[in-house]
Amino acid sequence: MNVRRWSALTRRELLKIARNPAAIATSLLLPILYLLLFGQGFNFTKLLTIPGLTPGQQQQYLATYILGAPDYFSYFAAGMVGFVCVTATLFVGANVIFDKLFGTLKRTAASPATATDIFGARLVAGSIQPIGLAFLVLGLAVLLGYVGLAGLHITGAVGPLGAGEIVLAILLLSLMFASLFLALGFTIEQPQTYFAVVNAINLPVLLTSAALYPWGAMPSWLQGIASYNPITLAVEVLRINLFGGTYYSHPAWAYLLGLIGWFVGMFTIATLLTRRALAPKV
Amino acid sequence: MTDAIVAEGLTRVFNGSVRAVDGVSFSVTEGEIYGFLGPNGAGKTTTLSMLTAVLGLTSGHATVDGLDVTKHPHDLKQRIGLVFQESTADQDLTGRENLEVAAALFGVPLREAPKRIDYLLERLALADSADRLVKTYSGGMRRRLELAVGIIHSPRVLFLDEPTLGLDPQGRAGFWKIIGDLRKESGMTVFLTTHYLDEADGMCDRIAIIDHGKIAASGTPSELKDRVGGDVVTVRPLGTTGTLEAALRALPGVTSVAVQDGSFRVKCPSGETLIPKVVAAATGLGVSLAGVSLRRPSLDEVFLEFTGREFREDEGPTATDRAVFLTRFQDARRGRR
Repeated sequence: MNVRRWSALTRRELLKIARNPAAIATSLLLPILYLLLFGQGFNFTKLLTIPGLTPGQQQQYLATYILGAPDYFSYFAAGMVGFVCVTATLFVGANVIFDKLFGTLKRTAASPATATDIFGARLVAGSIQPIGLAFLVLGLAVLLGYVGLAGLHITGAVGPLGAGEIVLAILLLSLMFASLFLALGFTIEQPQTYFAVVNAINLPVLLTSAALYPWGAMPSWLQGIASYNPITLAVEVLRINLFGGTYYSHPAWAYLLGLIGWFVGMFTIATLLTRRALAPKV
Repeated sequence: MTDAIVAEGLTRVFNGSVRAVDGVSFSVTEGEIYGFLGPNGAGKTTTLSMLTAVLGLTSGHATVDGLDVTKHPHDLKQRIGLVFQESTADQDLTGRENLEVAAALFGVPLREAPKRIDYLLERLALADSADRLVKTYSGGMRRRLELAVGIIHSPRVLFLDEPTLGLDPQGRAGFWKIIGDLRKESGMTVFLTTHYLDEADGMCDRIAIIDHGKIAASGTPSELKDRVGGDVVTVRPLGTTGTLEAALRALPGVTSVAVQDGSFRVKCPSGETLIPKVVAAATGLGVSLAGVSLRRPSLDEVFLEFTGREFREDEGPTATDRAVFLTRFQDARRGRR
């Protein structure tokens, strides 16, 4: 990889992202709707109040379902912070397709830039902004608690190390999904096909994760699937740091290791596909 | 003089059977402007794509600036400039930003890059709009920016694929003036494809006429025209002509004389040198002349002569076009490019 080529291409991607605020707004739309509507309407913590229990017993009972979070909304909001990494990276693949249609990719591929330069620039540019968006969603979730709605209550003591772990989890999840969407972008030719495939991936990946469901209420087979889901791995790092790790079987770093594994695997596949797509057509 | 481009038996087969380029061989001397002329689907862009390492070769061999196109595609891309048919500039970036990215990609030294960018913007009349987004550019401005991107690194060989497609005559003339000037200044070799006969005639030192994937004829524009039968000198006498017809036939170099509406159409390889002899012969015989005109054969006639069909610039897609499109479409469906 050539640093100058890579940084020029990264700057180009960042300029394009900055000049397209509509794409950023679109990637925030789904997580924000979930927080403002789904999270508010589905905050079923109230239903779990059992008559006769002391507040302490009540909290303990609840904690077995939502793993130490103070209420369902807080538990779920951490899940949405993970989900925004998916919605904020999916347009990096779409950009590849549009660059193919507009000829821009052809121009870059005809230059001495290698597939690694081209892929690396898009990967980094596409994974930087989800960090900002994830913290925006996190901030919004906290803020909702101050305007009379259900909000995110942070009950754990998040130190600098915890904050670092959260940033790392968000970054790894974004890098992994950006790799996936870039791989799709380099192999798919038509925007319609791309969005159809992305839609077919997004919902199943969200619904097989622990982003939405109270862990204790999930059937064991779904727990089994969810514990390998990369969204789950990232979200657990957030929850451990935001609400405490008492109810988790592993420390945060174990989940981070899992995320690194996902990223390395996806990155390897994606670079291979990109190299193949950019090689002279034989 | 060494050869900047050498192609031997260049062949590209699409879809297992469609020979888009079929055993094409030619060489381009350093500093030359060489044109590939042919209708849509003749194999021009496919040839250019193979020479620029964008497309693989089915068979054959090619070197550009001494580099084998299949063995050293990376070094090759560094040394050549490429201007595509369509606009490939980034619409969401300004003209200057596009050039900055190109300068970095082609490794223009950091210190020189800003100067080179300013020079090209000035030279290609884009200085005033350099900091505007490309999406606000006119067609002519986009073409000029495309050229600036293609020559940002002062390439030794410049490839132009139908570079003036869609430009108005004024835009085309302006574009070619710049290419001519740049060639004079830098001595770079230019390989271009076009289906505009007048462009090939006016710009190229040598031309290859390509049709159905094969070179039908090649040479300098005037050589090609000579091979069609040379110039036509039309002699319009006043009053009686006496033995003028016989005298014209006897002039050296004359290949045929035809009488048409009282005028003599004299065919010869070189009209300019014949005219004084015609005038002298008529004066010697005491025949007064109303006028003598010279017409050089156009490339239209050359094309007709070598391909057996009329050249039409607005031809629809050919069988090759359709096959190439089909291959790309199927590749796309299979998820390949």
